[in-house]
Amino acid sequence: MPSWISRAWKKGIVTTTYPVGAPTGEEIPPTGCPVGIEDAAAFRSAAAIAEPLCPTGAITPAGVDQGQCIRCTRCFRVGFGAGGAVESGNAAREGLIWISGTPPALRVEPAPLAPIGRSIHVFLMDVGSCNACNLEVLALANPYYDAARLGISFTNSPRHADVLAVVGVPTEPLVEPLRRTYDAMPAPKAVLAVGACAIDGGIFEGNPGLEVPVRTIVPVDLYVSGCPPPPLAVLDGILRLAGRNRVRNGGDR
Amino acid sequence: MSAPLPEVGDPPPRARERSLTYVDADRSLALRTDYESRETLLERPAQLTVEEIGILELWQTTEGHPHRIPVGESVEGYGVFTFPYGPVTMGVPESGAFDLRTYGERVLEIVPEVGYKHRGVAAALVGRSVPDALLRVERFAGNFSASHGAAFLRAVEIAEGIGVPESELWTRALAQELQRVYNHLHLIARVAEAASQNVGVAQAHALAEESLRLTARTFGHRWAFGALASENPLRRLGPDDRRALGSRLRELDREFASLWELFLSSRTFIDRIQSTATVSRADALRWGAVGPTLRASGVAWDDRLRAPTPPYTDLFVPLAQEGSGDALARVLVRQEEVRSSLLLLDQILDRWSSMRGGESAPPAPVEPGRGIARLEAPSGDLVYDVRISDGRVRSVGVRTPSQANWPLFALGMRGGVFTDFHFALESFGLVFADTDG
Repeated sequence: MPSWISRAWKKGIVTTTYPVGAPTGEEIPPTGCPVGIEDAAAFRSAAAIAEPLCPTGAITPAGVDQGQCIRCTRCFRVGFGAGGAVESGNAAREGLIWISGTPPALRVEPAPLAPIGRSIHVFLMDVGSCNACNLEVLALANPYYDAARLGISFTNSPRHADVLAVVGVPTEPLVEPLRRTYDAMPAPKAVLAVGACAIDGGIFEGNPGLEVPVRTIVPVDLYVSGCPPPPLAVLDGILRLAGRNRVRNGGDR
Repeated sequence: MSAPLPEVGDPPPRARERSLTYVDADRSLALRTDYESRETLLERPAQLTVEEIGILELWQTTEGHPHRIPVGESVEGYGVFTFPYGPVTMGVPESGAFDLRTYGERVLEIVPEVGYKHRGVAAALVGRSVPDALLRVERFAGNFSASHGAAFLRAVEIAEGIGVPESELWTRALAQELQRVYNHLHLIARVAEAASQNVGVAQAHALAEESLRLTARTFGHRWAFGALASENPLRRLGPDDRRALGSRLRELDREFASLWELFLSSRTFIDRIQSTATVSRADALRWGAVGPTLRASGVAWDDRLRAPTPPYTDLFVPLAQEGSGDALARVLVRQEEVRSSLLLLDQILDRWSSMRGGESAPPAPVEPGRGIARLEAPSGDLVYDVRISDGRVRSVGVRTPSQANWPLFALGMRGGVFTDFHFALESFGLVFADTDG
């Protein structure tokens, strides 16, 4: 089909240079995490005003919990601003709490899946999401992100998977399937909690019939915050599980 | 291939028949419409059927989820067994289950099991202020967030009898149409993926990603969360932003048109989806199909035309309609709607500068403190029934397009083969999050 070929040729290469290059403005949507107040005293006073505004209780004078933040932009009224959060994944839950505008000192890397670091098979498990996180994870397969160039592919069975990407807030009927899916995966394996719902229930925390958070059901190796996280944040999370993310390797694959 | 577009406002063909079908139907999931008097029964909520009210209320409880959606008689016979599929499967990127009745090759019957993902969104809205409730409504179904948000806000406005600034109405339409473009492009890509049209899949997914990036540029969020909140500081709707958006949308339109030509030239693609998962016009009416599914079966119904909420009352909405009711017809309707949504976006951006800047006329509540709003989400008719008092939400009933279309999926799959499954699921545009709430 020469016409298909000519079309593909005309379209050119749209794939991001990430993780070799830095993410561009188009790739990081402006709804990053609330940052922008560097001074500790100013932060505390701004956070005290923002605290009652925050629908999920992510902002306290102690810091901004990226894991609970749903990027609703309400705190922007008191001086917070959007920041890029592509490389904010953390292996420790407490590490998602940012003090003022700076990433946390507690930056824990997961134990890398060394033997399988070059080829990673990801199984996506939805335990009660709004479908946005699912689509953002699957967007990694589209030509703009093309995770296959980094050896990352999606698999159709947990028995072939190295990484379990969990999205959504676990509903009661999906707790057991999640546990069994995790058990079905061969070791070494890792769990990626994608999005505010998977980390701590997000906006749905406290609804009846929900079992939050995911980490009480299966052990979580890395948290990727966002509502939903942009595809590059998920990509960074998967690469970090394999020990070859951009930050660790100084931009070099 | 496509039927000629009827004039806007024309009565649909054989209107009487449809109206009768609705009245005589023993079961209808769609909210009924009286064609003769040209009025939707939503304006007279007392006449909602018991079943319809039941559906609006079902999703408020945590009881009874998950549950099965059987259609017609169960199939029995020599060698017939049940093949359970889901809830954990990568073939369907969400969690939901199916029971397939088969003797090994043909799918004799399929029973969807929905409600696994029931998060209790409707119940969580009770007692909240409207802005707090909106945050949750948008996360009912992430890829239909603008439609859910707009329907909820409209219902609230009807209940309270308040007008809104004109610019807000146009912003809502802008967000909804951008999201419709994304959803249709995504579903076309998914159907093509099932037919192994790899180059086309990549190209269609690229266009869908572009539409997401345009949403992010305009509203500060790829999924338009927060797009409808007037105080959102990330909205960029200034004259320069609108001009840039318009030119990128025209480029998207050109690219999609040439891509669609290529899809049509692929016989393997067309052959695969032609006469797959067919829904007849009578079935579509009897079981209450909505949205592209209904229009693909030959019924000229689009809420943006027949029951328009402002600002659609002021816009030219081309009607996409096909007659054959198969996956091909549904894909054709969706591709026409990509073009028509881009046309609508063009109109919206065009008329933005001539906006008078006043407030819309306050709508009259159906009864004090209660508002029912329906609008056309990407997959079809979406209904919100909201009761509100003292600025707090008292109860919310939701009937989403995915809930309405499951029986049609089950009917369409009868007699098909296993590999029809993805063509059926994607072409009906069924979203579990939208079903389960």
